[in-house]
Amino acid sequence: MENILTKQALPRWIEQLDAYQIYAPVREQEGWKYAIVDTPDSVTLDYPNTVLSLKSILFPQREVFLEFHSQNGRDLEVEELLPGDAQSVIFGVRPCDAKAISLMDKVFGGDYIDNYYWKRRNQTRLIGLACNEPVSPDCFCNAVDGAPYSTEGLDILMTDLGDRYFLESVTEKGEELLAVEDDLFQEAGKKDQKAVKDLRSGAEKKFERKIPELQNMPEILANLFDSDFWEQESMSCIRCGICTYLCPSCHCFDINDEVETAAPLKGVRVRTWDTCQFPDFTMHSSGHNPRSDRAARLRQRVSHKYRYFPEQYDAFLCTGCGRCIDKCPVGIDIVEVLNKAVDYEG
Amino acid sequence: MKDNPYLPELARIVEIKEEVGGERAIKSFRTQFIRENGFSFQCGQCAMLSVFGRGESMISISSSPYTSDYHQFSIMKMGRVTTALHDMQENDIIGIRGPFGNAFPVDQWKGKNLIFIGGGIGLAPIWSVLHTALHEQEDYGDFTLIYGARTSGHLVFKDELEELRDKMTVYLSVDEEESGWEEFVGFVPQNVTEKKPSPENAIAVTCGPPIMIKYVIQALQDLEFDDSQIYTTIENKMKCGIGKCGRCNIGSHYVCKDGPVYSWAELKQLPQEY
Repeated sequence: MENILTKQALPRWIEQLDAYQIYAPVREQEGWKYAIVDTPDSVTLDYPNTVLSLKSILFPQREVFLEFHSQNGRDLEVEELLPGDAQSVIFGVRPCDAKAISLMDKVFGGDYIDNYYWKRRNQTRLIGLACNEPVSPDCFCNAVDGAPYSTEGLDILMTDLGDRYFLESVTEKGEELLAVEDDLFQEAGKKDQKAVKDLRSGAEKKFERKIPELQNMPEILANLFDSDFWEQESMSCIRCGICTYLCPSCHCFDINDEVETAAPLKGVRVRTWDTCQFPDFTMHSSGHNPRSDRAARLRQRVSHKYRYFPEQYDAFLCTGCGRCIDKCPVGIDIVEVLNKAVDYEG
Repeated sequence: MKDNPYLPELARIVEIKEEVGGERAIKSFRTQFIRENGFSFQCGQCAMLSVFGRGESMISISSSPYTSDYHQFSIMKMGRVTTALHDMQENDIIGIRGPFGNAFPVDQWKGKNLIFIGGGIGLAPIWSVLHTALHEQEDYGDFTLIYGARTSGHLVFKDELEELRDKMTVYLSVDEEESGWEEFVGFVPQNVTEKKPSPENAIAVTCGPPIMIKYVIQALQDLEFDDSQIYTTIENKMKCGIGKCGRCNIGSHYVCKDGPVYSWAELKQLPQEY
């Protein structure tokens, strides 16, 4: 279904979604972030992209798995703590971030269902905002099987047509959100459809970054596994891990116990984001470390995204949002690394 | 497996046995679940043990699936969680989730001679597969165990090893000369070369320190064992146990889920990063 919503009517639509918690991009000192908005007219969709990706909502940086307590060590009790029941709608999701969630669906599904992730995921509707132009010079979604107006992972995609939005519902959940007050939406006409089409072909041309031989990348990287290429490319890495924390599809995590009181014992088990860029990520208690140097760790990050994940799930684990390039303090640029990998003879 | 793969079942430690003393002590813990649950495992699989307040650690199950009244975990005191386990007493409560990973394909080995080669604590995962096969010993050919440790004081399951001699050939070794030691002196791979197990209709299973595994495999290859006749287990740092947290991977393989049991033929195909 395709609809038109005037920009003036956006708050009215949000008002009608009062059964849901509404998240939208909110500007803070450090940049834009997703936050719960209380007043419908404070929602603005005129923004580039959030600093932390959408994963920060669906796969929070810290979440409690369970609580444990005991008086004497022999009367232990464990309580499962799943996320709450709130239903949410998230506005302003860029297609790269939504696609990353569809990749995360693969990781947290499969043989073992991750109940924490899926409870939130199933209670959340994603409303996307197409990119009429790259939101940053580092964007490269269309170089990695994506597009600035991709609907993958979304329930509705909105395209900004100046004074109004063009809305496409992608899923049944999306249709439900559009089933509100009659006069809020108008059916999209031929003119609107043409405007969207023109915007899209125009947008595609504005992305400058390319990845040659993308589909051969698993093989190219396999051949480079033992090469000194990784030492050269990782030379400047200061293992800060920001590339992975900001990445919308990086999902590696740690599980730890946090103790509130030792006697009687009371505490929680928490999951937190972790990163393959930290040396102790893979270090055994014996001190042995399969990925002990920065070269092995950069190789892991790039290979996971462009070789291992495609081998496992037939998709690249990178959606071209460009955050890792934009925010790397030493200028490691994954697109450049992949370009060099294609030409590397060593 | 439970609905929530991160939620441990509570279990009571019913017996603790000190196998090896000293700085890197080894103890065997026998546990029983407090509540009936669907936990059922195959030899080679691991379980995530919780010491609440300290965290979790992935440990191989060293008892055989045919032992129904307890599960056994033989654990070296190494890091935060294993040190906390070593401080625990009988009747203390731990958490267990799993089982995780694949298993030794013992059903495919019927009719074959089995050679088990272990070093130090590496006998723990071998113990489960050895006893699983031993349970139906008549279905297999000859059994041989080649096992060694730094000193005789570092050998685990000492009493049981003596009992095993009635059922199979047992070759023990220590790394250096010590008074009263009458068996082989030298490293485990050297003992393999010395005892020359035949590759004919045989399967070799080896677990131990990575450096020992490397040279055992070389020794077996020198004896003309084929890569597909050699099995080992891989250890890696693990947190989730279900192929999601991202740290135990070797290429696109997750050791917690796709391992820990690999034939050398399979392992050779993976990136050399373990």
